[in-house]
Amino acid sequence: MGITEKINDLRDIKSWHGEMPVQYLYTYGIAGEKLFRAIKDEKKFLATKCPDCNFVYLPPRIYCQECFTNLENSWREVENKGEVHSFTIVYLDIENKPLDVPEVIALIRIKGTNGGFIHKLGEINPEKVNIGLEVKAVFKEKREGNILDIQYFKPV
Amino acid sequence: MRKAAIVGMGYTVPQTITPQLSYREMIFEAAVKAYENSGIHPKDVQSFICVSEDFLEGVSIFDEYVPDQLGANLKSVHTISADGIFAIISGFLQILTGKFDIVLVEAHSKASNILNPNEVIAFAQDPVYNQPLRLNPHYIAGLEMNRFLYSSGNTREQCAKVVVKNKKNALKNPLSAYPAKIEIEDVLNSALLSDPLRKMDKSQHADAACVFILASEKIAKSITPNPIWIKGAGWCSDDPSLETRNWDEAVYAKLSARQAYKMAGIQNPKQINLAEIDDSYSYKELQHLESMGLCRKGESGLLLEEGYFEHDGSLPVNISGGNLGAGFLFEASGAFKIVELILQLSKEAGCRQVKNASLGLAQVWRGVPTATGAVIILERED
Repeated sequence: MGITEKINDLRDIKSWHGEMPVQYLYTYGIAGEKLFRAIKDEKKFLATKCPDCNFVYLPPRIYCQECFTNLENSWREVENKGEVHSFTIVYLDIENKPLDVPEVIALIRIKGTNGGFIHKLGEINPEKVNIGLEVKAVFKEKREGNILDIQYFKPV
Repeated sequence: MRKAAIVGMGYTVPQTITPQLSYREMIFEAAVKAYENSGIHPKDVQSFICVSEDFLEGVSIFDEYVPDQLGANLKSVHTISADGIFAIISGFLQILTGKFDIVLVEAHSKASNILNPNEVIAFAQDPVYNQPLRLNPHYIAGLEMNRFLYSSGNTREQCAKVVVKNKKNALKNPLSAYPAKIEIEDVLNSALLSDPLRKMDKSQHADAACVFILASEKIAKSITPNPIWIKGAGWCSDDPSLETRNWDEAVYAKLSARQAYKMAGIQNPKQINLAEIDDSYSYKELQHLESMGLCRKGESGLLLEEGYFEHDGSLPVNISGGNLGAGFLFEASGAFKIVELILQLSKEAGCRQVKNASLGLAQVWRGVPTATGAVIILERED
């Protein structure tokens, strides 16, 4: 057993360059549909709240992950304000090349929910961001019903 | 409870690239060694468990390509995702059924084959809420590190010291791809990736394959006089949503450790005298130590500075070099943590030998954007 002849000349290394050209439609489902319709049409955030454990889901879900309670009829509007739960300043793009302008990305804990959004912070000096900073959503004028309808969050 | 043991293993040396072998040949090399070292023949093995993640191999249904290089053709092959520790746990569970006496477990990484690994990691994010931002996925570690420093009180310098310790430990480990003697300043001055995360805070990938032979209590001693017993195991998955999970603690690590301690009958984690844990990013080692109760909250950085986790400290951590020193081995990272534990528990760790190593813990995390991990506790035959 074992390999007795090994490649030991770099010029003998060969490979095939392959690619996975796959595409998907990720359907939003009941919860996502409702949230993004509200964002697109009314610039509003909708969440679901579990009547048993009081966990408020944003992004919304139609089931509670703790209690397994059905949340299809437990919707509520929440503010489009929140606070920075954490933030980071991203310097490289997805190909590890330096970004022209570093981006400030935050996990924004939306008021009245146990969740929120991961998004950009705008109209702010990166040095002035801190955990706990109050921010609110800025929406695009032309919205399509997706997460990028939010342009960024800015300080209140 | 002594029901299943690891009775043999074989592995290739972690390398940054492996262009001279196909991934199947690399696994074959590890398998040959495992069979030779344990005296087991493929026909003796009743079940094979492999770990794979299709996007890491670049073949959907990758696990179709595992049997032949392991001697598993026309046998029962079971593939799981995540990591080698999960695979060992699956093998352990199969043996506990009483239906299997010898199980082979395999894990590997040929990450050098992936031309754009960031895309693979980015693709693991929620496609509706997170992927569209098209960010370098390590931003998630940047967010978590910032929150960790804020809520634990540990410092960037202490995180940098984890990198220094682990790369230094790797200098004594032939099974490592990134050993180095560096200073804290080298880490703090390395290029910013996603502030506060810098380039040197993040482990770099490596290739390797690892095969273990597991045996039931009934026959373990007939294969080796020194089986390494699986005393406890735990595995846990937290909220997949970044937006709603707890960012102040590695809850998956806390709960999987708790499950493992309970199974092992360990009342006080201080009984653990050797640990190989996830340090995919520098701060994760400190976060995992605290979450698993191996030290108190907020104390990990201070204890690190006092030498508590060094080779001659009270709890040697990542003597192998961890992911930072040995290389991030994707699904094989947990496997190589187990290799180090076995070498230590078997008193075969040479210049890395920890004197009183008798009860070891290995822990793994699936990496961003996941909140999943596993823990295994191993004990030598006395």
